[in-house]
Amino acid sequence: MNDDRPPKLPERVAQIQEMMDTIIANVVLVGQIPAPTFSEQERVDFFLERLASFQVDECTTDGFNNAIGVIQGTNRNRAPIFLVARMDSPFGHEVDHHFTIRKETITGAGLLDNALGVGILLSMPEILRRLALRLESDLVLAGAIQSIGKGNLRGIRHLLQTWPTPIRGAVCMESGELGRLNYYADGMIRGEIVCRVDPLQERPHRFLPNAILVINEVINQILALRLPLKPRAKIILGTIHGGLKHGQIAHEARLGFEIHSDADELVKNIFTDLEDIVAGLRHEYEVGLTIETVSNLRAARLKYTHPLVKRSVALMQGLGLEPFSEPCESELSIFLARGIPAVTLGITHGDNYQQVDATMRITPMFTGIAQIIGTLLAIDEGACDG
Amino acid sequence: MDSRWMRTNTFHYADFNDLQALVEAKRRKGLSISLCLPTLNEEKTIAKEIVIVKSELMSRFPLVDEIVVIDSDSTDHTRDIARAYGADVHKAAQILPHLECYTGKGENLWKALFVTRGDIIVYLDADIKNIHHRFVYGLVGPLLLDDRIRYTKAFYDRPIASDDHTLRPTGGGRVTELVIRPLFSLFFPELTQILQPLSGEYAGYRAIFEQIPFPIGYGVETSMILDIYQKWGLEVIGQVDLEKRIHRNQDTKALGKMAFAILKTFIHRKIALGMIDVKGGLHDEMIQYTIVGNRIEPDIVRIKGVERPPMIEVPEYRAQRAKMAGDGPHTFRNATPQEDRAE
Repeated sequence: MNDDRPPKLPERVAQIQEMMDTIIANVVLVGQIPAPTFSEQERVDFFLERLASFQVDECTTDGFNNAIGVIQGTNRNRAPIFLVARMDSPFGHEVDHHFTIRKETITGAGLLDNALGVGILLSMPEILRRLALRLESDLVLAGAIQSIGKGNLRGIRHLLQTWPTPIRGAVCMESGELGRLNYYADGMIRGEIVCRVDPLQERPHRFLPNAILVINEVINQILALRLPLKPRAKIILGTIHGGLKHGQIAHEARLGFEIHSDADELVKNIFTDLEDIVAGLRHEYEVGLTIETVSNLRAARLKYTHPLVKRSVALMQGLGLEPFSEPCESELSIFLARGIPAVTLGITHGDNYQQVDATMRITPMFTGIAQIIGTLLAIDEGACDG
Repeated sequence: MDSRWMRTNTFHYADFNDLQALVEAKRRKGLSISLCLPTLNEEKTIAKEIVIVKSELMSRFPLVDEIVVIDSDSTDHTRDIARAYGADVHKAAQILPHLECYTGKGENLWKALFVTRGDIIVYLDADIKNIHHRFVYGLVGPLLLDDRIRYTKAFYDRPIASDDHTLRPTGGGRVTELVIRPLFSLFFPELTQILQPLSGEYAGYRAIFEQIPFPIGYGVETSMILDIYQKWGLEVIGQVDLEKRIHRNQDTKALGKMAFAILKTFIHRKIALGMIDVKGGLHDEMIQYTIVGNRIEPDIVRIKGVERPPMIEVPEYRAQRAKMAGDGPHTFRNATPQEDRAE
């Protein structure tokens, strides 16, 4: 008797593995093109040229220069499904971007952040073709520019703001870790506090302040803030820079921070507290002390019982993965904020994230791709249509 | 000097970007193509070369029929990694094992002729950090589409920016500029038009390679150009701009040894052609010096300048080729499944 059932997801893993050469080639060829935020053009050009060589139906950019490929579905009345990876990486042209492939791993700057995601995006037309899969919906392969840091997700914000039709659902891809399932995003403000001391300013009653010590006092006062347990909230002090050399009082210092909470109002209130701290110390020390918002996000979420989340959990478990969830401040939050059901999935396991020797494991990647295919199929079968 | 060759026989890889056209030309001519990667401890770069060529020029466009790695007893994981990514891997010493065994790049290239099947053979160094499939199709393009060309040689970085009439260096390495170019200028000015005669990337018809001797070491690139030039003339040679190539840098002492081997090869060719007469012959030892503490110590390396004869003169090779001709079309070991069916 003929078995006409489509292959189950675990069987797809082996089929995808047969395409290893093409998938790795895509990851390497696109990842070796430096694409620091605001300078993604060369990678965008390569991405579109490459998609066209895979006979993708439409390859273009939107008005913001996000890279877009559309694989047409069988039903033109269906709203499209988005598969998204960000194009920009934290490393500039001065960093060696040549990747090293070994038997089980690939290593290179920007690989996990997020060349792997872009490489999978590029591979998707060929993967679907080889798996003989065609969705009812159009599949939009979106490479979003200006995502990280001061990019503040501008690319994806613009893309969704100007997209002319409803969107059925979306899968956002992050390189790692395999097993992550993000379906909610915290409200977040990312900001920077900068202290500048003018050495020429007359100060008849005091010594020249040290910018590092002023920032130190800012930190002390932030640490003294009382944060509620409900709604939960946290302040992350993520970066600090200051001074020029060991024997000279620092004239400038910077503190980078993020405020997170599942309540937008609380994020705003904490930011106001920080503004008060800054205003008080500015007055006290007579220095240029400023606080600026670099980027912000609104809190948004799917419920755990949403069909997209439930289907994602089930298919990940079917692949032997144990899903884990945490808030995610990425493209996902922009989809959710616009009421578009979406999840973020990790592709493989890796080490040395955000470092020049970031390393990914090759074999788990095929399971990661299979879960992405499964999730796209789930959306196409109506998991987001309720 | 007639510099016409530079204009008529210099190509750019982008002239051959239409891979489907190359595949069709290859099929029409009934040719097969082998890629040979000579290796010695190249675990950092070998996989990338194999993966990208396999993906782009075997899976997507069936231009290359086999990838063969000829290894000089690497002590790292080169062979293991190359095998894992589907290359046909050989230890040089195990090919024609009854012959005296030598170590060197030229030895690997020569032995590749015995184990590869293709009518066209592409040789790429295995240490290219920015490998791209243009390194292969750029070299193969003129061989498939221009009937004059039987051998192609790579060069890198655009030597002349013609738009604003500014000149830039050719990008030739130190040994090229300090050894080869002066020698060519003195004895074969026509050959100075070959911008990077020592580049490790070249391709040609088997019928060319099997008829020339191969020095076992660094002299192989120089001898190849001289021998092809002497036997068939400059017209059969093409050079291809592959733009940028990034590879491992070598220290001055290593380059000194390379220059020694090249000079020796060159002088041997000149003697054979009756162009010079060296009384008393040449020495085999390259002598360099190293300061150890307060002492200066000689660092002597024997570079004998051994050459392998034209492969066509090896009886086992002739027998193998005769058998292959009788067997009909060959199925390549690491060809894609689609290719197997097509054959």
